[in-house]
Amino acid sequence: MLKTIIKKEVLETIFSYRFPLFAVICLLLIPLGMMVNQASYAKRVRDYSEQVRLADEAASKLKIQDVMAGTVAIKGFRRPAPLSVFTQGFESTLPRYYEFTQDGFKPGESASDDESILSVQGKVDFVFLVQMVISLIALLFASDMISGEKESGTLRAMLANRLPRDTLLAGKIEGGDLALWVPFLIAFLLGAVVLMLGAFPLFAGGAAGRVLVIFLATSLFVLTYFTIGIAVSTSAAKARTSLVAILIVWAAFQLIIPKLGDMVARLVYPVRTETEISLQKSLLVRSLDMDQAKELGRQWDLIFGSLSQEARDKQDSPENKKWEPIRDDIQQRTREKKSQQLAAIDETYTQERRRQQNLAVNLSLISPSAAFARLLADVCGTGELERAKYLEAVRAHQKALDNELFSKVKRTLMIHEGGQMSMGFSAMPVDASKLPKFVITSATMAEAFKANVRSLLSLLFWLIAPFAFAYAKFIKYDVR
Amino acid sequence: MAKQQPILKTDDLSKRYEDGVLAVDHLNLNIYPGEVYCLLGANGAGKTTTINLFLNFIPPTTGTCYVNGIDVTKDPLEAKKYVSFVSENVMLYGNFTARQNLDFFAKLGGKTNLAKNDYYQVMRRVSLQEKAFEQRVKNFSKGMRQKLGISIAVIKDAPAVLLDEPTAGLDPKAAEEFLEILDELKKEGKAILMSTHDIFRAKEIGDRVGIMKEGRLVMERTREELQYEDLVKIYIDYMKSEPLTLS
Repeated sequence: MLKTIIKKEVLETIFSYRFPLFAVICLLLIPLGMMVNQASYAKRVRDYSEQVRLADEAASKLKIQDVMAGTVAIKGFRRPAPLSVFTQGFESTLPRYYEFTQDGFKPGESASDDESILSVQGKVDFVFLVQMVISLIALLFASDMISGEKESGTLRAMLANRLPRDTLLAGKIEGGDLALWVPFLIAFLLGAVVLMLGAFPLFAGGAAGRVLVIFLATSLFVLTYFTIGIAVSTSAAKARTSLVAILIVWAAFQLIIPKLGDMVARLVYPVRTETEISLQKSLLVRSLDMDQAKELGRQWDLIFGSLSQEARDKQDSPENKKWEPIRDDIQQRTREKKSQQLAAIDETYTQERRRQQNLAVNLSLISPSAAFARLLADVCGTGELERAKYLEAVRAHQKALDNELFSKVKRTLMIHEGGQMSMGFSAMPVDASKLPKFVITSATMAEAFKANVRSLLSLLFWLIAPFAFAYAKFIKYDVR
Repeated sequence: MAKQQPILKTDDLSKRYEDGVLAVDHLNLNIYPGEVYCLLGANGAGKTTTINLFLNFIPPTTGTCYVNGIDVTKDPLEAKKYVSFVSENVMLYGNFTARQNLDFFAKLGGKTNLAKNDYYQVMRRVSLQEKAFEQRVKNFSKGMRQKLGISIAVIKDAPAVLLDEPTAGLDPKAAEEFLEILDELKKEGKAILMSTHDIFRAKEIGDRVGIMKEGRLVMERTREELQYEDLVKIYIDYMKSEPLTLS
């Protein structure tokens, strides 16, 4: 009986006027979207390679004097994520590189200056098409599956037979979804072929496994929307009513809830920008450096103030022996203070962001679309996880550079009584070729899933709840 | 007619809708194999509700419906094995061909091993034109749809057939052809319950004719009794009479 219903649903869907439209949309837009994004990815990789080459070249010529003069900034570039061909996520809003200096790191320009609100939800890429177009089509296909059959009377004709309602419902969901899934599968495979023809590394570095996850997650997502459509259809007596309800549901899930979640979180927990934080840190460093310079000047004046220039220049004089530990102590205390206060700023900022993000994520996850976008962005290495990994790598690199490079240079700025300034330099040799390389460790699939437990739960809820709701409704559905 | 066990039976059946309307009021019916029972009545008299109760589309408020001795409320799926249903506007899938529709509903009716020729044979039996067999149903006339609808009932081969105003909107020729098929089904021993507004055809085909008014079966006559009575006059008299007191 189930097979009969599935077959009928598949045929009915295929024969409907909507099906060719859906097939064309899938077969045209999905491969085309992948092709366009693949070209964009290839360009970004070329840009990245060129920038890294130039940066490496500059680093190989690095002289300690440049570091002493503060005229050099070491740059750490982020390689574009290959799977951004599926979803852009934060790809275009993440800084292409970070600059590392003695005073800390700061973000460079982002890959795109497009600050569109859609950049978080996904540009016109595979995920966008699935979220905005295929989900709507799945809902529309499902919208009249129950109410439409009631209106045409075929529901009565079917249920006048020995056909359990749960079997009918299951058959409708399976059959209808299968009819949608096949064109989607073909379009996806076509897209994969397009990528491979464009020399995309589809089978390199575990990409194939991730692509499979993308496909499976998308299939489940389409099924979720189809089931939601069926649930709406069982709640309406007329096909027109369910169509209106479905458009409202779609708008709520795609446009309202995710954006509203973000807006509410921004209002409730406002967070400063990364640039503001960089500025705050720079000001703090400058202020501490000035305090240090004044303290050094004061101490120097106490020790050397009454001496002649000749006596001051004597390296082994008792005054110099007294001065060195005092200087080192002041510098050490400043370093510690700087380190503590900078860490505190970072920690506060991280907490602020985490609090805002948690609220935004929790609210947006009411929508299965937001959950899907979030999950896929992390699987593709363009999501929140990638941003965190990027920042983690930046902090680690800064620390490594502090040890290997910046600590080799000591600038002793002093501000004497009366406002006069003097500066002393000392530097140890640095082998530029041995400087640490900037590396971002990509998140593993396990990490992506772990970071997306809430997204997975949301998707699971939206897969099960509408089915349970549709079942409860349909068992008592008035078929007359 | 030999008195056997009724295939279709209601036992003090009543249905009151949530809005308070009493659609069926203490109805007792027995329809036997090889019998056509025509249920006459104005719109809202309770004819379609009675059929819906037999199909368990709605639960009765009190009383019981039986199909082939099976309590419809207690075991609806088993009861539906023994009943075919044809409605006023035969419900078919417009994008399917006549054969595809027949194939689908035959499978739902439990006939899973039929070949193309079996379907063609049934469609020939109900006088559907050959060229229509593989045509999409959406362009069919009402008469063609009714023929296909009855072919679904024929192919299911259930002992009971429920017909909800099947001749409404049919031209005289199509209606006549339809009744011929019904007559054949009757001869095969099917118990047929047909709700209709068509007094003349009810008299022509019905072994018994009942008139429903406000949910009650207010009159019942056999074919023999109607030879000496004017059914039209009886019907109009009942329709004109004072409203019944609702229980």
